[in-house]
Amino acid sequence: MNAEKQRSRENAERVISSISGHFSSCLSLLLRFSAFIFLPFLAVGCAKKSEPAPKLNIYTWSEYLPDSVVKDFEQRTGIAVTVDTYDSNETLQAKLASGVAGYDLVCPSDYIIQPFIRQQLIMPLDKSRLPNLANVDPNFLNQRFDPGNQYSIPYLWGTTGLGYNKKVITDPVDSWDILFDPKYSGRILMLDDMRECFAVALKRLGKSINETDPAVLRQAADMLRVQHALVRAYDSENYDKTLESGDVVLAHGWNGQLAKVVSEKPDTFAYVLPKEGGTIWMDNLCIPATAKNPAAAYQFMNFIMEPQPNAAIVNGVSYASPNTAAKPYIDPKILGDRNIYPTADMLKGWEFLDDVGKTSRQINDLWTEIKGQ
Amino acid sequence: MTGTSRYSIWLTAHAVAVYLFLYVPILLLVGLSFNRSPLSAIWTGFTFDWYAKLFSDSEMIAAAQRSLFVAAAATVSATILGTAAAMGLARPAAPAKQTTAGLLYLPIVIPEIVLGCALLTFFSVTRWELSIWTVTLAHITFSVSYVAVVVRARLAGFDQSLKEAAMDLGAGPWGAFCRVTLPLILPGVIAAALLVFTVSIDDYVITSFVAGADSTTLPLKIASMVKTGLTPEVNAVSTLLLGLTMMLVLTAQRLLRGRPVRK
Repeated sequence: MNAEKQRSRENAERVISSISGHFSSCLSLLLRFSAFIFLPFLAVGCAKKSEPAPKLNIYTWSEYLPDSVVKDFEQRTGIAVTVDTYDSNETLQAKLASGVAGYDLVCPSDYIIQPFIRQQLIMPLDKSRLPNLANVDPNFLNQRFDPGNQYSIPYLWGTTGLGYNKKVITDPVDSWDILFDPKYSGRILMLDDMRECFAVALKRLGKSINETDPAVLRQAADMLRVQHALVRAYDSENYDKTLESGDVVLAHGWNGQLAKVVSEKPDTFAYVLPKEGGTIWMDNLCIPATAKNPAAAYQFMNFIMEPQPNAAIVNGVSYASPNTAAKPYIDPKILGDRNIYPTADMLKGWEFLDDVGKTSRQINDLWTEIKGQ
Repeated sequence: MTGTSRYSIWLTAHAVAVYLFLYVPILLLVGLSFNRSPLSAIWTGFTFDWYAKLFSDSEMIAAAQRSLFVAAAATVSATILGTAAAMGLARPAAPAKQTTAGLLYLPIVIPEIVLGCALLTFFSVTRWELSIWTVTLAHITFSVSYVAVVVRARLAGFDQSLKEAAMDLGAGPWGAFCRVTLPLILPGVIAAALLVFTVSIDDYVITSFVAGADSTTLPLKIASMVKTGLTPEVNAVSTLLLGLTMMLVLTAQRLLRGRPVRK
């Protein structure tokens, strides 16, 4: 038994023995008993854990980090990596806030970084340990959610656009306007996400998606309220499947999943970035303030910014990377797919969602009105 | 005569409807695990690809292993603890019986999210790092109550005089337990263990609070896949789990039926 397990068992016994009454001896006996029974099982199940090597605990989105990249890193550095996955930025926030999560590297989205910094959940980065940051396109650095990249480095990015059924909609689609067209009443799907829906309305008004003027926000809300009657569903999870099954013909959604639908049936479906502009999102790597092995986290961050590992990530998950040096190694099919890698021209008027502070309260109230009518 | 047969037709129809309601979604899930299309619920052809993909997906396999480990550990521990508690409460002289029993049942009544939050707070305050052990402990915490309830119900019909007779005939407390009490309450104990196993293996809410590094269980893994898109791989892993659980239940039933009744 290695020191790690020994420690965790002692830890377990300590807490348990603090529970008063005659249960304590019984419980600790039981714990010993179950440790005795299950340790061999555990040793088989997680054989790589029994090496006395340094460890790196990564907590990220599902299907976001290919196995092969992790294996390459383990082979090169001798660091044992564990990968756990979460389903929302809020889950990640709750875990980090508990202070006992034990992760060394996490992958939050843009808008949640400011709250993380304010709550001191992530640590400032020493960029002298990240020389490969030079490989990253400067257009993706120094964003408002983390000026100077003091706490985060870009990982993968994408857009929120419009997927539609070409068989039904024969007119050219290039604007958000079509989501407000009564002709498609009952066949429109919007993301169940207030900031994303407001971004659509604000862009139609020619405003920034981070607008804070209450009068403009009310105008945007009025627009969404009228649209409510046309919307079949507000859904952030199955929008791709709903579009694909034909239940809706227009779906507001994130590019990753919609791009998959399009590449599956390119004759039936298409994805567009409306000309008014919209939301760009980006996920970023950060080191939690409670990380036990920041050194390994730095090594990993620097490793995935190398051209080849970075390209392996893009080829594995089909999302765009901000890494310029990786481009020669990326599958030309992915690199040439304008739904994944739009040109700079297509991205005029596209913005990151900012943390809008107190305004989010007003947006939330308006959103409740819209959906509750 | 006609009255009875019309009655039985309705009864049969109702029974069929109920069983369809219960099993059609599960059968659909099993069927779709062999569907070629990665996206839709529309049948496009038979394939084993998702099973092949599943077995080469180390994250998914690791998650399934963790779930099985936690469920097995929770089942063994909670069954022993819960049975002991039920036995204790069945003693005529048990002190503060109502209060103790009430407290024991509380975790079943408390909303899962509250229990999850409470456990996370506890681990946070005691600076106990989240891991597969905190998950296991959390599962034991809520499972003990289920075992106690089920075994207590079984013990309610248990004739205490049988145990007394055994002890009159020279059996010690342990001997009487092993040779008289346990065989008689065994169906209850096994039912409780199966219940714990199923509750543990699909628990999402509490686990999501107390899971840490290297402890993403299968339900957590599946929930996190929703964001990037579920594939029939999830159907495949669910089908395998379903098969495993059914095998366990059948084995348990077999064992119980095959037991000779001692005279």
